[in-house]
Amino acid sequence: HTHLDADDVDDELTIDQARLLWAEHESSTRNLALVLTEHLRLVLQPTQATKMRGDFRTGKRLNIKRIIPYIASSYKRDKIWMRRSVPSKRSYQIMLAIDDSESMAESESKQLAFETVALVAKAMSMLEVGELSVVGFGEDVKIAHDFSTPFTSEAGAQVYKQFSFAQTRTNVRRLLAESIELFRAARLKAAGSASELWQLQLIISDGVCEDHPSIRQLVRQAHEERIMVVFIVVDAAAQKAEASGGPKQSILDLQTAEFVKDQAGEMRLNMVKYLDTFPFDYYLIVRDVQELPAVLAGALRQWFAEVVESG
Amino acid sequence: MTDVSAMQKQSQVRIHLHTRSGDIELPQDTGPILVSTELKRYQLSTLVNRLLETEQPVPLEFLINGQFLRTSLDEFLTRNGISAETTLSVEYVKALIPPLYVASY
Ligand SMILES: [Mg+2]
Repeated sequence: HTHLDADDVDDELTIDQARLLWAEHESSTRNLALVLTEHLRLVLQPTQATKMRGDFRTGKRLNIKRIIPYIASSYKRDKIWMRRSVPSKRSYQIMLAIDDSESMAESESKQLAFETVALVAKAMSMLEVGELSVVGFGEDVKIAHDFSTPFTSEAGAQVYKQFSFAQTRTNVRRLLAESIELFRAARLKAAGSASELWQLQLIISDGVCEDHPSIRQLVRQAHEERIMVVFIVVDAAAQKAEASGGPKQSILDLQTAEFVKDQAGEMRLNMVKYLDTFPFDYYLIVRDVQELPAVLAGALRQWFAEVVESG
Repeated sequence: MTDVSAMQKQSQVRIHLHTRSGDIELPQDTGPILVSTELKRYQLSTLVNRLLETEQPVPLEFLINGQFLRTSLDEFLTRNGISAETTLSVEYVKALIPPLYVASY
């Protein structure tokens, strides 16, 4: 992995400009960050109320289910008590992966992407639950901010400065493959119990990517390694097109036209809605950053519910 | 590093189809369509005819930035230095004379 080399960007921002722009994003999302923090506090933290559980010889409360076997065993099976269990402290590593490709500039999704970063970074730092990293992707993957560095306002400005939205490809497959490696390395470095470390990737992109089958496979692999991947589709172009009465631009309207060989060997044209083959299980479409706290919290809550059920 | 040239064949591009001839206008605004950059005139013609739901296919020609498409989209993009990240505005017109390269289908 290489760090983004700001030198190869022609119309590169000065650090002062980047600070100014980052500060604008931070202030425009300040109130929303509070809302998101409250949502996430409920979702991310384990239930603080302690539960009574277990089978012990001594304890606080009798386990009613154990009483009959206890008597039936002539008082030999005497682990009939429950104790309070202390909830374990989870920690989080969250990676924001931002689409640095040209299509983001075309669809005017850049602003919305940075508002999302400012929002999530602020909420994470207020929660004090873990480490944050930011990567940019397009043709390749570049680390704009690593897990081991605290995410301050100055770090935000540095991150801001490193994006050009000029990469001429959007290789999401490579993003996933390399992020899995990054998460593995970060897990090894993390303090505390690995089983209480939760890893989450938020991909912020206009959502246009190719090679859905191999992406799907990598999403599955990430899931097996307990890395949750949430894809946030910033659909900024939709609103603009609607307002100006221009041609439809939303990802919801996007269709894929594919020529595939049928059983007789003839080429047939297949048309499907782009989102019907979208390879991510957890994705949300955001047209306005105002919507983000609620939908993001909703997606995470759903994921935690599933993890708890399957565990 | 992964071989980039090997991955290029997977490329797709978003196109926005439009025409100036009222009789072959698409029934409704279709929105952007994602296609393989391997497509040539013939496949694009098939695509528009599908969208038009024509009984007899109308042979079509395609113009991008005022130039007739005579190669695959991929070649066109490369030659004109256009990235596949942009939405291509593709105009279609009825092919007046049957193209000479029919045999190459
Ligand atoms: Mg792109």
